[in-house]
Amino acid sequence: MNYLLHPLILVTFFPLLGSLALLFIKPEKKNTIRWVALITSLLTFIFSLLMLAQFNANNPNIQMEIDNPWINVAGWNINFHIGVDGLSILLILLTTLLTPISILSTWTAIDKRVKDFMIFFLLLETGMIGVFIALDLFLFYVFWEFTLVPMYLLIGIWGGPRRIYAAIKFFLYTMAGSILMLLAILWLGIRQGTFSVPELIASGANIPVYIQIWLFLAFAAAFAIKVPMWPLHSWLPDAHVQAPTAGSVILAGVMLKMGTYGFLRFNIPMFPNAAIKLAPWMALFAVIGILYGAAVSYAQKDVKKLVAYSSVSHLGFVMLGLFALNPQGIQGGILQMVNHGLSTGALFLLVGMIYERRHTRDMDAFGGLWKAMPVYGALTLIVTLSSMGLPGLNGFVGEFTILLGSFGSKAIGSPWFAGFAAIGVILAAVYLLFMFQKLFLGPLDKEENKILKDLNAREIITMVPLLILIFWIGLYPKPFFALMAPAVDKLVAALQTAATIAMH
Amino acid sequence: MTTTDLLSVFPLLILILWACLVLLLDVFLKRERLTTILTAIGLVVTLGFSISQNNLNLTGFNNMVVVDNFAVYLNIIFLGSGLLAISLAHDYLKRMGINRGEFYVLLMFSISGMMLMAIAADLIVFFLALELLSIPLYVLAAFARPRVESEEAGMKYFLLGAFSGGFVVYGIALVFGATATTNLSGIAARIAEHQADIPLLTIGAALILVGFSFKVAVVPFQMWTPDVYHGAPSAVTAFMAIGAKAAGFAALMRIFVAALPTLSEQITPIIWVLAALTMIVGNIVAVAQSNIKRMLAYSSIAHAGYILMALVSYGQSSVASVSVSAALFYLLSYAVTNFGAWAVVIAVEKAEGKGLALDDYAGIGRKYPALAAAMAIFMLSFTGVPPTLGFVGKFYLFRAVIDGGYIGLAVIGVLTSLISAFYYLRVVVIMYMRDGEPEVRSEPWLNLTTAFTAIATIVLSIFSAPILQWASQAILSTF
Amino acid sequence: MAIEFLPIAILFVLAIALAVFIVFLGSIFGPKRYINTKMMPYESGMTPIGPGTRRMNVRFYLIAVLFILFDIEVIFFLPWAVVFRSLGLFALIEMLVFIGILLVGYVYAWKKGALEWE
Repeated sequence: MNYLLHPLILVTFFPLLGSLALLFIKPEKKNTIRWVALITSLLTFIFSLLMLAQFNANNPNIQMEIDNPWINVAGWNINFHIGVDGLSILLILLTTLLTPISILSTWTAIDKRVKDFMIFFLLLETGMIGVFIALDLFLFYVFWEFTLVPMYLLIGIWGGPRRIYAAIKFFLYTMAGSILMLLAILWLGIRQGTFSVPELIASGANIPVYIQIWLFLAFAAAFAIKVPMWPLHSWLPDAHVQAPTAGSVILAGVMLKMGTYGFLRFNIPMFPNAAIKLAPWMALFAVIGILYGAAVSYAQKDVKKLVAYSSVSHLGFVMLGLFALNPQGIQGGILQMVNHGLSTGALFLLVGMIYERRHTRDMDAFGGLWKAMPVYGALTLIVTLSSMGLPGLNGFVGEFTILLGSFGSKAIGSPWFAGFAAIGVILAAVYLLFMFQKLFLGPLDKEENKILKDLNAREIITMVPLLILIFWIGLYPKPFFALMAPAVDKLVAALQTAATIAMH
Repeated sequence: MTTTDLLSVFPLLILILWACLVLLLDVFLKRERLTTILTAIGLVVTLGFSISQNNLNLTGFNNMVVVDNFAVYLNIIFLGSGLLAISLAHDYLKRMGINRGEFYVLLMFSISGMMLMAIAADLIVFFLALELLSIPLYVLAAFARPRVESEEAGMKYFLLGAFSGGFVVYGIALVFGATATTNLSGIAARIAEHQADIPLLTIGAALILVGFSFKVAVVPFQMWTPDVYHGAPSAVTAFMAIGAKAAGFAALMRIFVAALPTLSEQITPIIWVLAALTMIVGNIVAVAQSNIKRMLAYSSIAHAGYILMALVSYGQSSVASVSVSAALFYLLSYAVTNFGAWAVVIAVEKAEGKGLALDDYAGIGRKYPALAAAMAIFMLSFTGVPPTLGFVGKFYLFRAVIDGGYIGLAVIGVLTSLISAFYYLRVVVIMYMRDGEPEVRSEPWLNLTTAFTAIATIVLSIFSAPILQWASQAILSTF
Repeated sequence: MAIEFLPIAILFVLAIALAVFIVFLGSIFGPKRYINTKMMPYESGMTPIGPGTRRMNVRFYLIAVLFILFDIEVIFFLPWAVVFRSLGLFALIEMLVFIGILLVGYVYAWKKGALEWE
């Protein structure tokens, strides 16, 4: 097979190629740089669609696999092992979709050091896609850590007033978790003699349970910080609020999913017994996160902070779904990852648009915007409703499936978790509608707000793909479930085998 | 003396003879440029002879020297460091007004001491090598005379070097007392025959460990490091940070892994504590530094701790070879990154010790994007973030530690690298996120070194297999 | 084993005791006349003039260092000469190498002007 034209290689490394091309463009030619970056990311999106076309949804296994020896000396067994399956394909598509949208959103917002910005952004895309396709722990770790660097620079150079603090906090927090994971990876690599994820999954249940729990916790340290799960979430509001809009979109839309994906891809299948044992605890933290995130969101005055805390709440749902450890819960969890990427990504874009006009995000500074910016108001309404889970829009499908799954989950063991999580849905309605009311309803009494221009064509174009998907998933989610169902079923079946073996 | 004897020390002889010749040529012709070129030629030729010794596995002078792949690997690092040091020093010395030919000659003498250290297999030869490598370094540290800091550096380095040399000699004496020989193979044989006085031997070995700990800057024997690294001319510091460290670790590995594995029960706890202390103190104190040279000095202390970590499991025969090759690989990755970082420091440094504060790096990201990108790569490599050489080095190193079963030490290692992320990132923060009007020297050899090391840091991390292979074959010959 | 060394130990103690005793006797019976000349610090028989911490010309140090360097290295000739017959040609070559290295240093010092007084 010709590796250079392999769809996964193209999708992963094309952005890298684009960023290398950008190196040769003069920094003054800002528009050329923007166009090159946009076209690169759009082509990447097209490549990811080609990958989707080659993907066989009925096959639960890893597809389009490349497994090449990489470092096979001195007792190492590290391969360049990549592939895609039902668990990861939606997230790859989400990444390739959100990147061009984010780049488009920076057209006027980023005006200083455009070249550096675009280079880092495309590097980030390569790193994120790499995380989702890596099937070798070493390779995975390389991509995982690599995403930190461009994101750190994006926040630190183009962020808000407290950007340096936020950037360093983001980096150190995330690195703290991942180095513990590194030790666990090394332990696995030495004891099991391989870094290959499928092989480790196959032999995972043989590790004694108490060691599994330690390894599970070491991996969870990295992923839980990334998700972020309560109580490890405190980097998130800072990073989100200080990051530039495009950074927030990617951070919320994709990078948080790297955490949940990590649980799904590594923690649950590699340490099945530990996952079953710890499921109630994970569910507990998830539910606390849901309620805590919702409560704190309600108390925010800064719109961006509100959206940031709502992420804590929404990702609590994802975690609850994943650790239901049954097909419904996991499928709902995966779908909710996508939903959150779409809705919260869209919310951050919308917040960015108003910030670009008014240079404030304080809710008290607005009011009655509906009259001044009707298109903006309508779009925000749809996205808000999607985020709070209105039936007919995407959020509902995901949250409902998760609640169904966790309600009947044997692993979690109690329907109370689902019950409390359902309160979270109501709370989401409260704080999101509260926000909407503050911004758009009431009298248009402030002079600065009266002269605001409504969205321009570029801004509407950035929103359209997200809106289409919001409606599509809300009304006809079947094709999305169909993509992941076989892989999820396989995962759950493996979990049950592990559980029964452990019983005897 | 036989042909094998001659063959085993041939590269060393070439280098020393060449150094004597260059010394005379320099003093008679007084043409610094010629001296530089001749030194580079000498190092390249020696490098060629050193490489040709690969897989030969010679012993010479009644087992007083051993040329195994371990030695060849290290010799290549020493000679490569020498070449990089020349390219750093070439314009720097001129700019600082200290362009004296002795620099190059002393560099060659010091390298020959390091090479002797790598092939030494007798405690007396170790001491000889230690002095041969150290004395030129003392002079080099004071090379920027009459600058007070430089003279202070030379003096301090000399006094503490002599002090640590005393420890080594005392240790050698005790080991001789315990085993009636100074030859490593003889010591190993004596221990195997149960004819060694174990308590005396342990004290002797511990003293040798302490003596070399001074040389490689292990806490609590690190106090000279920041002052010397700060005061010495930057090109010298760059060389010292690699050469002296690598030579010190070469000696420690050779002596402990090859001759004293049976003592691991007593020695391992000491190394464990030293490594943990070094990583913790080095990294924490580095956070408080505002001068880039001092920061890099503490960072070099911290890295000594990481390398020392590999020695903890030296007594387990199944892990020892992995540990040694991990340490060797780490030395290489540290050497590449370190020279790159110092190249950037030299580019920013100005006369009279100016341009060394971290604040002098403000705005470089905007004004000199290539230089800033290179420095960012080096800082990330020091931190151990992929895809850089530093990451692969740490990965390999931690594997050796975990393989030996010292998970506690590995946890300390990763947590301290988290601390290190803080101060390494600060350089990146200042470069990219603060505004300033930096002035940077652009000198062809300096730029070349920076570019070469930056590219190597990235590329070699992705294609690290051949180097890992090479490092894993660089095993010590056992007795 | 220790008993064999007993006579030496006794001798040692006696010697110290005798020395201390004689000094003690001197301090009791000896005449004590303090005059200026006697109170002066002894300095190689010369009359000390000026402050004690007088600056020496730095060239003295250089010469002294060079002297010690070459002087000590010449001492190596002595043991070499003792075993020269038994080692033969090998020893001759070794010593020539040694002298060669020494010469390089000497020529360097000479050429650098370390031997010039002005």
